[in-house]
Amino acid sequence: MLAEMAGAFASGLTLVFTPAALGLMLAGIALGFAVGILPGLGGPTTLALMLPFIFTMEPAEAFAFLLGMAAVTATTGDITSILFGVPGEPTTASTIVDGHPMAKRGEAGRALGAALMSSLVGALFGAVALALAIPIVRPLVLAFGSPEYFMLAVLGLTFVAALAGDSLLKGLTAAGLGLMFATVGLDPISGTQRYTFDQLFLWDGIGLVPITIGFFAIPEIIDLAVRRTAIAREHFTKLGGVMEGVKDAFRHGWLVIRCSAIGAYVGIIPGMGGSVTQWLAYAHAVQSSPGRERFGKGAVEGVLGPGAANNSTLGGHLIPTIAFGVPSGVTMAILLGAFIIQGLVPGPSMLIPESRGGHLALTFSFVWTIVIANIVTVAVCFIFLNQLAKVTRVRGSLLIPPVLLLIYLGAFAEKNAFQDLYLVLFFGVLGWVMEKLHWPRPALILGLVLGPLAENRLFLSTDNYGAGWLLRPWVLVLIALTIAGALYPWWKARSARRREGAGAAAEPAMAGSAGSILFTLTIVVVLGAALWQSLDFGSRAGLFPWAIGFPVLALALLLLVIQALGKEKIPASGVAAPEPGIPAGVVARRTAAILAWIAGFLAAIWLLGFTIGGTLLTFLSLKVGSRERWPITLALTAGAAAFVYFVFERALNVPFPPGELFVWLGLA
Amino acid sequence: MPRRLTAALTTLIALAAFTHGAAQSQSFYQGKTVRIVVGLGAGGGFDTYARVIGRHLGKHIPGSPTIVVDNMPGAGSILMTNHLYKVMKPDGLTIGHFNGAIILGQILGQKGIEFDARRFEYLGAAVKEDVVCGLTKASGITSIERWRAAKAPVKLGGVAPGATPDNSGKILNAALGLPVQVVSGYKGTSAIRLAAEGGELAGGCWSWESMRATWRKGLDSGEVIPVVQIVAKPMPDIPNVPLAINLAKTDDARNLILVGVQNSSAFARPFALPPGTPADRVRVLHDAFHATLKDPAFLAEAKKAKLAVDPITGSEMKQLVADVFKLDAAMVAKLKAALY
Repeated sequence: MLAEMAGAFASGLTLVFTPAALGLMLAGIALGFAVGILPGLGGPTTLALMLPFIFTMEPAEAFAFLLGMAAVTATTGDITSILFGVPGEPTTASTIVDGHPMAKRGEAGRALGAALMSSLVGALFGAVALALAIPIVRPLVLAFGSPEYFMLAVLGLTFVAALAGDSLLKGLTAAGLGLMFATVGLDPISGTQRYTFDQLFLWDGIGLVPITIGFFAIPEIIDLAVRRTAIAREHFTKLGGVMEGVKDAFRHGWLVIRCSAIGAYVGIIPGMGGSVTQWLAYAHAVQSSPGRERFGKGAVEGVLGPGAANNSTLGGHLIPTIAFGVPSGVTMAILLGAFIIQGLVPGPSMLIPESRGGHLALTFSFVWTIVIANIVTVAVCFIFLNQLAKVTRVRGSLLIPPVLLLIYLGAFAEKNAFQDLYLVLFFGVLGWVMEKLHWPRPALILGLVLGPLAENRLFLSTDNYGAGWLLRPWVLVLIALTIAGALYPWWKARSARRREGAGAAAEPAMAGSAGSILFTLTIVVVLGAALWQSLDFGSRAGLFPWAIGFPVLALALLLLVIQALGKEKIPASGVAAPEPGIPAGVVARRTAAILAWIAGFLAAIWLLGFTIGGTLLTFLSLKVGSRERWPITLALTAGAAAFVYFVFERALNVPFPPGELFVWLGLA
Repeated sequence: MPRRLTAALTTLIALAAFTHGAAQSQSFYQGKTVRIVVGLGAGGGFDTYARVIGRHLGKHIPGSPTIVVDNMPGAGSILMTNHLYKVMKPDGLTIGHFNGAIILGQILGQKGIEFDARRFEYLGAAVKEDVVCGLTKASGITSIERWRAAKAPVKLGGVAPGATPDNSGKILNAALGLPVQVVSGYKGTSAIRLAAEGGELAGGCWSWESMRATWRKGLDSGEVIPVVQIVAKPMPDIPNVPLAINLAKTDDARNLILVGVQNSSAFARPFALPPGTPADRVRVLHDAFHATLKDPAFLAEAKKAKLAVDPITGSEMKQLVADVFKLDAAMVAKLKAALY
């Protein structure tokens, strides 16, 4: 048995090392490299676009190609997140929180070094976990039923405490809002429509891609436009620090390993992909590191944790896909299609050696692909790191139009749904307001991703077991862990206070308090309206919105009272003037201008279509908006037009809707 | 171009096509791109059929157009189907592929449906959906007799209201009085399979083609047993598993089984064109579609991907869909009560 395993492990490597497989893997890596770096365009979208090409490949080649691509997007996505503060992938949004402040501080090199090194460790860990899990995966996964999945989602939610930042009250409210956003769509059990406003595109809920893009990218674009500088605020002569970042990964080696484990094992659970594991790992890094107040301002641990976890998730993700044919996320659902096309039935036969009619060597070739793809990518990144990091010195006005175009493209291409562009805009503005008013955005995202899983599995548990599921042994263990997880931060904060005495200086924040009150008031009103509407849902579909909505409403009201009395405490370090050195009037004018451009891009794309509208606005915002010179304006505009037209419209056949104007004129 | 002019031109083209059918269509499809728009996500079963067909369809259309497969997922394919009905142009360049369960949804008044299934131009389907219920040995329900004698409702996995596993379980309960509790909300039949293996569910009902491919090991080892099949004639490899329709005692019960599961299996996976597509282009695409389904190169690829091929023509499908709309109000009410 063991010899058979070892044999398959070795022949897995030879499968990858045929010229065709290796060549296709490198092609996949190159593609994944680019897709990861480009904001907006996500790994799953690209995988789907590549499906037509795998028909003529052998299985080992097809998976070398697809997995090679999937394996590296999380690594190169980190690069964009750190350098631009715009998520390269939805799974790399968390590296922004600390990585981007490091880049602004001129420590881009160190942040990148740390992200790359931790990514490599994470990916290798995930691959090893996959290899080790192969013999024991079936009993492991079958031991977990719906009740255990529900408890895992609840356990995940306790991590909100660590993501809450300055104010636990705001963190809990934000997480609750995320859970409420998660109820948008068809209730999976009764089919009742919840908060869909008769819009079919909302039936399947709010997509994670438009939310993540809007939430993190738009605020950064606004910020960049207002400051009118390059991304790196401070001038630095040499990038440096790359090796320092690599050393950081080893200095905090134990943290990197722990976060890799979080990524791999949470990734096994269907419904929990890299978009969840990154935040759990980030929260874990915050909780387990000294000096909590350093986070969000450029703590290297905040880069290392998610960097490792979003890479190790792939290995974990593959486990249920291979062993049961149950996809644990979008990426895996598409890979499952590749299995079908290749005539492979995921399941037990994937774990049986070829000599007995199975595909074990092929399964092991997946492990090798992940390993090789990541080593190649990280090596290539290190070579080009200096060039990459120089991007942070390019002036923002040149970056904004292409980035805007890309995020709208990416939001569309995921589901070929134009309405997702409106979601980008909506969540972009929401994210920007939350950032300005010191609301923790990660807490909302965590609530949003864990909400559907929690609700779905809670109902499945009670339908299957009544209340009896509460007494299942693993459930009891997870309940204990949840309680411990919830109490730990509180206990830690208390003991820290005892050690330090009075605690960090916190003073009532007076500035901007009118805006804060208004925002909280809006939340209260919207929650009230949502609860009012949920009266029509019936008891089944209404239970979750009520169970979440009323406590969150209470929390929001409490917050409103505190703010109205002027008692809200924001740590002194957190209320730094938003744009030092720029008069308030100028800030307001520039903010209005960039908001108009962001909306204008959307309007132009709607009116004239992606190719013409996107190109026109790129041109206008460069020439009229920021008065760039003709050569650079024309070069960038031509580049953008060629990219959209040749890559998307011609090569990939993305079905862009015709501009409304042409529809009116009867030309389309 | 003003709409009236477009309409006039379309009529002209249609007229011309009537006289010079093939030649006209050949020049029409030359250098064009035909899109197959799938109303469900990339990588799923519907998507895979469309992609494998799409790879071979082009060479059977005169003029050999490029074939592209897109996904427009949402609302269990209602989103795309509405689009196909209202927005997509009837120019013979767009083919929709959706979940036929929503056709039944239209009759039962499912919300969100803005199409009239009778007005599509059907190309037909590559396969029927023959539903079989598989239950685990561990559940103790190893035969229809044991199922009848079960004291507690037997838990079958469901996906969402209107989905095949949900409808099948509910119809078995309503028509045959079998004790059934459909636990809905699983993300696809693979998740149901996993939950059944873990002991959370007794099993589930869905397409036999898919079940025997994905649950091969369980079926071979006897851990999973096909207990009842909701089909017109037994599947060739399980001739002794009882047919639900034979177990029904009343006409009403038989009708519920026929309308709720059995007949709709024929239009479960339709390929259709927008209403008003010129007749000659419908004919060209229809013939090409069915020539593809007989193409050895296509069949080899379908075999590799373990996709069953059991074609239904466009006119057969149109008839089956029309039949469903002839149900009397009492039957619709009974169906509604059983399924929702």
